[in-house]
Formats: sequence, structure tokens, C-alpha cells
Amino acid sequence: MKRLQVVSFGIGVVFILSAAFFLVGRTQPVEAASPTQTTDNQACLVCHSVAGMSKTLPNGDTLDLTIDEAAHSESVHAEAGVKCTDCHETITSFPHPKFEAESRRDATLAMYSLCQKCHAEQYHQSQDSVHFTALAAGNLSAAVCTDCHAAHTQKRITDPQTGQPFAEQRILTAETCGRCHGAIYEEFRASIHGAALYEENNPDVPTCTTCHGVHSLQGPDDVAFVLKSPTEMCGRCHTDAAMMGKYGISTNVLNSYVADFHGTTALLFEATSPDQDFNKPLCFDCHGVHSILSVDDSQHGLKIRENILVTCQKCHPDANANFSEAWLSHYDPSPEHYPVVYYVNLFYKIFIPLVLGGMSLFVLSDILNRLVIRRKRTVIHESK
Amino acid sequence: MSQNKGTSPRYLRFTLAQRIEHLVMLLSFATLGLTGLPQKFPLASASKLVISLLGGIETVRFIHHTAALVMMLGTIYHILGAGYKIFVLRLPMTMLPTFKDVKDAFQAFFYNLGLNKRFPQMGRYTFEEKMEYWAFVWGAIVMGITGFMMWNPITTTRFLPGEFIPAAKAAHGGEALLAILAIIIWHMYGVHIKRFNKAMWTGYLSEEEMLHEHPLELADLKAGVAKPSVEPKTLRRRQAIYFPIAAILAIVMLAGVYFFVFGETTALAIAPQAETAPIYAPRTPTPQPTATAAPTSSLPQVWEGAIGMLFPQRCGLCHGANSFTGLSLDTYTNVLAGGKNGVVVVPGKSAESPLVILQAQGGHGGQLTLEELAMVEAWIDAGAPEK
Repeated sequence: MKRLQVVSFGIGVVFILSAAFFLVGRTQPVEAASPTQTTDNQACLVCHSVAGMSKTLPNGDTLDLTIDEAAHSESVHAEAGVKCTDCHETITSFPHPKFEAESRRDATLAMYSLCQKCHAEQYHQSQDSVHFTALAAGNLSAAVCTDCHAAHTQKRITDPQTGQPFAEQRILTAETCGRCHGAIYEEFRASIHGAALYEENNPDVPTCTTCHGVHSLQGPDDVAFVLKSPTEMCGRCHTDAAMMGKYGISTNVLNSYVADFHGTTALLFEATSPDQDFNKPLCFDCHGVHSILSVDDSQHGLKIRENILVTCQKCHPDANANFSEAWLSHYDPSPEHYPVVYYVNLFYKIFIPLVLGGMSLFVLSDILNRLVIRRKRTVIHESK
Repeated sequence: MSQNKGTSPRYLRFTLAQRIEHLVMLLSFATLGLTGLPQKFPLASASKLVISLLGGIETVRFIHHTAALVMMLGTIYHILGAGYKIFVLRLPMTMLPTFKDVKDAFQAFFYNLGLNKRFPQMGRYTFEEKMEYWAFVWGAIVMGITGFMMWNPITTTRFLPGEFIPAAKAAHGGEALLAILAIIIWHMYGVHIKRFNKAMWTGYLSEEEMLHEHPLELADLKAGVAKPSVEPKTLRRRQAIYFPIAAILAIVMLAGVYFFVFGETTALAIAPQAETAPIYAPRTPTPQPTATAAPTSSLPQVWEGAIGMLFPQRCGLCHGANSFTGLSLDTYTNVLAGGKNGVVVVPGKSAESPLVILQAQGGHGGQLTLEELAMVEAWIDAGAPEK
């Protein structure tokens, strides 16, 4: 009887334990997912949402320790359920381990490489960028991840539905770059592209990253990047008939540039030696880099001959007004535009086939003579 | 015929100097063609291949310019040599085109078609050879002038409209194409395919070849009238006149070539910086958090506006409202109420207040400065007034 009690007790224990495991197994992971995270972040925010919380660093910088709770809750990281401690890995308890940073910049530079935990691709792309080259060369102002992307309040940039950046992002990007590149930002805003971007958020005009790239972005020191500007930057849109048609802009600009000595050379450099130093003008040497204006601009437009001469003289200091006419202003030669070039081409279009045709005719007659007539003559001769 | 080839007479057609001249022109022409065509058709993949193999477009242009210089020097040599033959030796100008050449050409053409029974009888230079020679002369003039215009565009546009530069480029390319194709069709066929004529390499033609191709010259040679001999005295007199003139001509032409090649530095070797705006120019300094100035001891030692601002700022990180530490220093009431371990402020007795004792030890998470601590002590000693 005692034995039966032991057995039934054992069965009871097993049943209760299984039930407990069943319940625990069912419920715990579901609960563990978000509430724990929220609790974690809330534990941090208990203190770090207090306004004005800061720390004075040894160099005198004030390090802001307050998180804007409202802005944070709208951020893409909050949306994805990223925990404070995912990035602030060393802070697991209170009091926190001593924070060692000489300055605010040091604090940023100590943190940014953590981004690669989740954003490895973007991080590695950025390693090849002009910013990281500058950083490696000792320029501590060069932008790192969190200089462009707000660490705690960054909102979603690309629309998950389309994979494309949101419409408002184009201006936000220019604003972001402009924070450090203020002079270039001002030039861009005043340009025909920048004006269309800011005034009408025109989706056809480029923003900074359209030309420079996003994470692996390059600058003018990269000859290969500069060299591909006619074909891959300017040419990409300016040969797009559908896009240019909206604005009545010629799509012959790339072809007419490549037909010219400068463009031919640029194209050949790009094709055969993209890393060599290059001294021929690319699109932006005449039209401006960031300060691109319409050719019809009443003051600086390139339709004004003097303005072309000024750009010529940047590389040809001795050039006179005649010299600037050596550039055909993206026209294909025709009887109306640049007739001398047109008629020279026409002359050779007629002269070459005429001369070669005459020569070929004689050569063919000689071949005919050797193959057919002479043999016939010999036959006639022999038969006589 | 072949048996007594060794003993059959050979006729000197080209002197060694002429053969070397031909070789120099052949090499420079081929080089110009090889380096010029890829420039005329830069988009062709074959062009890109040639340019890559030669070390890039700048190297290709340098080779092209060097070959042009060689051809210009060859041309000067030829002009001076021709002058010597014409004015000093008074050789007949056998290369001049005549009406007979036109007749010969038509006769040969009709003969080829079987419409004429006899092939034309020709002298030292056949109409085919004359045509090639004068085509070369025409080509050299066009290529020289248009080449100069492209090589020296700034000098050219002092005298001509700018449009002439791209026009020169068009003519240079068109003429080049014509010359190269003419060489292939006319020259290659005429002296390589039709019959391999080795005279330009060996210098000689056999009697049979002479009879076949230059029967009139052969007849003249046999009659002894092909080359008029000059009296040594006359020769010296003519040389005395010609050499100084040739020397001046040579200097003028060489100076011209020097100007052609080195006269103009058209463009800067290094293009100026395209973007002149400073790269790094922070637009607005990144807004820094500005900490609220901590109340100083000069302020009245009361809670409101002084200690009540100091505590949340310096201690609020841990001891805020409903603090997890069990002690909240956010309100006057909470401060006097103390935490889970009892009171922290004993009004009137700063030395007995746990808050002061703890802070005086130093090393607290939210450590007050000595000045701030003195302020708190003064407030407690004053009875910790709220207002």
C-alpha cells in the first residue's frame, strides 16, 4: 500500500512538473520578446529621460546624457525593438562602469563601430569611403555612421514597401551633408538642381548621394570617381530622353562631348587608365561642380560666349575669344551651326568613296583581267 | 630566261638613300595610322585595346606626335633632295603628271576589261606610281596643315575662327582614313598582291620586269638618254648656288618644324581644382546641450529656485521621482521624508544629516562639488527652509 502511495505521489509530481514545464514553455518566450525589452529600455529611461542630464568631459565638452523619449519612440530602432544595451554593451548594471572619453568626438568615435553588429554591409561600404580614408589619415572630423544617422532618434530612411528612400529624404540628405559641407551646400542650393530640389522636391534632380554614392561615397581625390562623371553621373540623367523631354533639354550632350577632343580623351582614360591623373575638362569643369546653372542664366549661363571663354582660360590661359569657338557647344555640325565643320565632313563623305571607288574599280578590272580575260586570250592564242 | 638570270642585266631603280627614305616614311606612316585610327574611332573596342596595349591615350598621342615629327623631317629631306635633282643635276622631272598618264590609265582600264588589245607603254613612273606619289603629297599637305592647327590651336585661332580647329580635326581624320584605305587598295594591290615588286628593298628590277612595266624607260636607258650627264665644272657652279639656298631653306623649314612641335603649350599640365569652395565648412555648429547653470552660494539658501534645482540636476539621474533606489530628491516633501533607510536631511544639523555625511566622504555616483556641498550644508543649518 505504501508502495502505491509512493508511485501515485511520483506520478503526481511528474504530472505537476510536466504541466509547469508546459506552461512555462508556452508562455515564457512569448512574454520574453517585447515586455522585457521595454522594461530594459525603461529602466534606462527612468534616469536618461530627465532633461538636462549631462556630463562634463575632461576637455570641457558637455556630453548630453538625456534621451528625447518622444523622438526615440518614433525612431527606427525603437520600431525594431533595439535595446539600449544592444549598443551600450558594457552598461549592464548600476552604477555604470566608468566612461572614458576625452571629448565628445572621442565618445562618438568610440561608439560608431558598434553599428556593424547589425549593419555590416553598410559599415564595410563606408570603410572604402572618402570619409574613412580621411579618418584613417588622422582627420577626426571626418564623418562616421552616427554623424549622419542620429544614434537615438534616427527615423526610417527607406520605404520598406518599395525599398526606395522616402520622398522627403532627398532634402534631408542634403541637409545632413550640409552640416559639415556648408559652403558646398550653399552652392548646391543656389544651383539649378538644388533650387528644384528645395522648391518643388523635384524627384528628377540629384541630391548629394545621387552622384557621390551613399556609404562608399567618393570625392574629387578619387580620379576614377571623377572620370566616370560624364557617363555615370551627368550622363545617366542627361541621356534619358523621357526625363530630359519634360524639361526640353537635349540628350545629345554626352555624344557631342565624346565627339570632341576633350570628351574622347576622358572616355579613353576611363576605359583604359582610370587611375591616371587627368587634365581634360569633364562636364563640371565648364558647368560647375555644385553650382551648376542653366545655360540660359542671364549672368553666368554658358550661352554667353564670354562665360565659355572664362572656362577655357582656366586651362588655356592664352586663349582668345576665337579659341572658345573651337568647342561646338554640344551642337552637331550642320549648315546652320558650325558650317565649316559640316562641309569638311561632307567633302570627305563624298571624296573618300569617290577616290576609293575609282581605285577599287581599276583594281577589280585588273583582277578580272588576270582571272578571266587573260586566260581566254591564252586559250584563243593557243587555238590559233 | 630563268637559267641566265644571273647574267641578265639588272637595272637600278631606287638608290640606297631612296630605299631608306621609303622605309622611314613607311614606318612613320604605319605608326601614325596605328596610333591615329584609335583616336578617330575611340568608341571601338579594338581602339581601346590598342590604346591599352600602348600604355594609354597620352602615350598614344606622344607616339603619334613623334611619328609626325619623323615624317616632317623626311618630307624636308625629300624636298631638298628633289631640289638638288631638279636644279643641280637637271634630271628630267619624270614624276610630273602628264596628259599621257590619263590616257595610259584609261588604256590600261580598257585593256583589263578586254576592250583594248594593248597595255599602255610607260616610262620611269607609271600612272599608278604617279598617282600614289601625288596622293601622298596632297595628303602630307592636308595632314601637315590640319595637324598644325590641332597641335597649336591657340596660335591658329589668332588668325582663324575657332571653328577651324574642329574642322581641321574632321579633315585630319577624313584624310587619314582616305590615305590608309588608299594604301591598302592601291599600294598593297599594286606592288604586293598583283606582283610582289621587290625593287624598293633590293633596289633593282630585272630586264624582264623593266620590259614589262617600264618599257619606255628601258628604251631610253638602252639609248643612253635617260640621265643627262653634267660637266663637273657646271655641276660645281650649280652646287655653289644651290647649297646656300638649300641651307637657308633647311633652316627655315626646320625652324618651322620646331615651332610646329614646341611652339605652344596649349593647356596646363594639371587641370585646376574644379571645386573651389572649402570642403569642410560646418554650416551651423552642432547644437550642444547647455546644462542649466547650477545655483551658487550667492543665491538665498532655500529650496525653491536653489536647492530644488540643484538636487534634480545633480542627483535626479538616480534619485528622481519614484526612484528605484528608494530615495527621491525631486520634491521638498520627498527630501524631508527621506528614503527607505530613513531621513537624509536633519534640518538645522548638517553634520548629522546622512546626505552631507555621505557626500563629504566623496566618491558618490552623483558627487556634488565642494561649493555645492557647502551650499547644501548652509541650507540645512538654516533649517532647510522651503521658501
